[in-house]
Amino acid sequence: MAADEQRLRVAVLGAGLIGIDLADKIRRSAKLELALVAGRDRDSLGLRRAADMGHPTTDGGIHAVVEGGPFDAVFDATNADSHPEHWAALCPTGTTLIDLTPTGLGTVIVPGVNSHRMAAHRHLNLVSCGGQATIPVLHAIAQRCTPTYIEVVSTGASASAGRATRLNLDQYIATTSAAIRTFTATPDAKVMVNLSPARPAPPFRVAMTVLAEAIRTAPVRTSIATAAQAVRAYTPGYKVTSLAVTPGRISVAVEVTASGSRLPRHAGSVDIINAAAVLLAEQSAATSR
Amino acid sequence: MDTHPRKRPRILLHDPTLRDGHHAVGHQLDADQLRAYATAANAAKVPVVEVGHGNGLGASSLQIGRAALDDATMLTTVREALTSSRLGVFVAPGWGTSHDLVAAVHNGADIVRIAAHCTEADVTERHLDVARDLGAEAQGVLLMSHMTGPGELAEQCALMATFGAQAVGIMDSAGHYLPADVTERVHAVADAVDVPVIFHGHNNLGLAVANSLAAVDAGASVIDATARGFGAGAGNTQLEVLVAVLERHGIETGIGLREVLAAADIAADRLMKAPPSIDSTAVASGLAGVFSGFRRPVQQIARAEGVDPVDLFLALGERQAVAGQEDLIGDVARQLKAATR
Repeated sequence: MAADEQRLRVAVLGAGLIGIDLADKIRRSAKLELALVAGRDRDSLGLRRAADMGHPTTDGGIHAVVEGGPFDAVFDATNADSHPEHWAALCPTGTTLIDLTPTGLGTVIVPGVNSHRMAAHRHLNLVSCGGQATIPVLHAIAQRCTPTYIEVVSTGASASAGRATRLNLDQYIATTSAAIRTFTATPDAKVMVNLSPARPAPPFRVAMTVLAEAIRTAPVRTSIATAAQAVRAYTPGYKVTSLAVTPGRISVAVEVTASGSRLPRHAGSVDIINAAAVLLAEQSAATSR
Repeated sequence: MDTHPRKRPRILLHDPTLRDGHHAVGHQLDADQLRAYATAANAAKVPVVEVGHGNGLGASSLQIGRAALDDATMLTTVREALTSSRLGVFVAPGWGTSHDLVAAVHNGADIVRIAAHCTEADVTERHLDVARDLGAEAQGVLLMSHMTGPGELAEQCALMATFGAQAVGIMDSAGHYLPADVTERVHAVADAVDVPVIFHGHNNLGLAVANSLAAVDAGASVIDATARGFGAGAGNTQLEVLVAVLERHGIETGIGLREVLAAADIAADRLMKAPPSIDSTAVASGLAGVFSGFRRPVQQIARAEGVDPVDLFLALGERQAVAGQEDLIGDVARQLKAATR
């Protein structure tokens, strides 16, 4: 009982690819207790899988989460269009809302970069999978030079992107590029997204190009390696696959393979944002208790 | 499958010379060039003139190549030159956004092509909606269509039709098809939808015109073709040749042969140093099923890294690199270089 009392009671809203993996990751966490997985369609594959995994489920969506609460934290794994309504409904309950949709409404948090800001806020936004994969590295680069332009191209396997992701590509681009500009103090950032039909499905890959003056190669390389190592602490399948520093230009590519969960290896995009979300919830447990 | 003889519709030729051709010149066409060709195409009564960066709205980037002109300048320049031809644009969600789409229609685009890789039609739902709401004609096209089979292409096209696409179809982005491949795929798509079917060919294996003819015979009624074949890789289906071939085939296009030949001559004079040719890398690209637009970056990177561009194309084919993944080219080149040391 004592151990359970230490755990934060959390709910997952959304039973798509992201919501179901979140449920799985929360189940493995020693600090979180999954009290509810809320979807909207009783017959959906996601809700049935969550029930098969032994989690309490509901098809009552946001209303069921409000009624079943209060929860210490709620993960919103639905879509950018529904998220504002979810925050409006949950704000009065006093819960911490961790938003995995690309609305960019809450306080944007990237583990290892600004997680210390989390304690002061109850509405957290995780940017996007591309944001989680790039901002640690780009932020590290921006400590070593002054970027004038950053470009990010992410390529995910077709099977790793669910319906909400596909409907939200514009928001994904807007939120990710805004977060990159903010975290790196760069005036101009462009984000592009590919979904690849290749089979077997390729790993999640993000290529970054930074234009900057007066780049000193050795410190940049060291900073990138340190940042990547920090991400690997919660996303073991994260690695820098290429790095080139030329006058005025840094090109870095990272790849993320999912590991240590039920996810297929190619679903690194889901793995990194969910691992970040669960880590933040665990850290909030540590600070609130 | 429908075995009744199809009533042969009039074929609409859609001309992306000023969009796909941008791949051949590093996206560097200037306003005078755009104006000169658009004026000539309009005079030839080419029904649709498409303009833009090679990968469409919003795609000007370090990754794919920065265009000399921004989207708004390209569109307003061509808009002013067209009196009878309609103005087309191309946008792939993920490269361009709804914001780009709204701006393009504001700048005079009549026809909006929303593109997705061949299995990804559901990314077009939002943008087809936006295009329809703006009052533009909205079409849906599948890129890199050789990467999947007729059944899935038909399903994906049917999906785009349910999202409101007023024409749907397939692009042979790698120039990989043989005519029989096209026949089978276009038949499958035409049987699955009630809207016009689009085919867009590339000439890497020397079959763009033959493939376009096969598409027409299989039920496609919107065929893409460019002046002199100006386009990515070995180029597109050559417009003026297709007009002549369709005339011999007894099919009406509404385009006068004399006028389209004149437009093609202007394209040859003004837009390109040399007409597209099927060089060794283009053959490798078509055979390996790699996006034709990779030709220039592959040649540049192969030279810089000291690897054979044919080997590089074949290696990219093994990786199933798709359009938009230009960032892979350097990595794969360095892997090839390391492997041969």
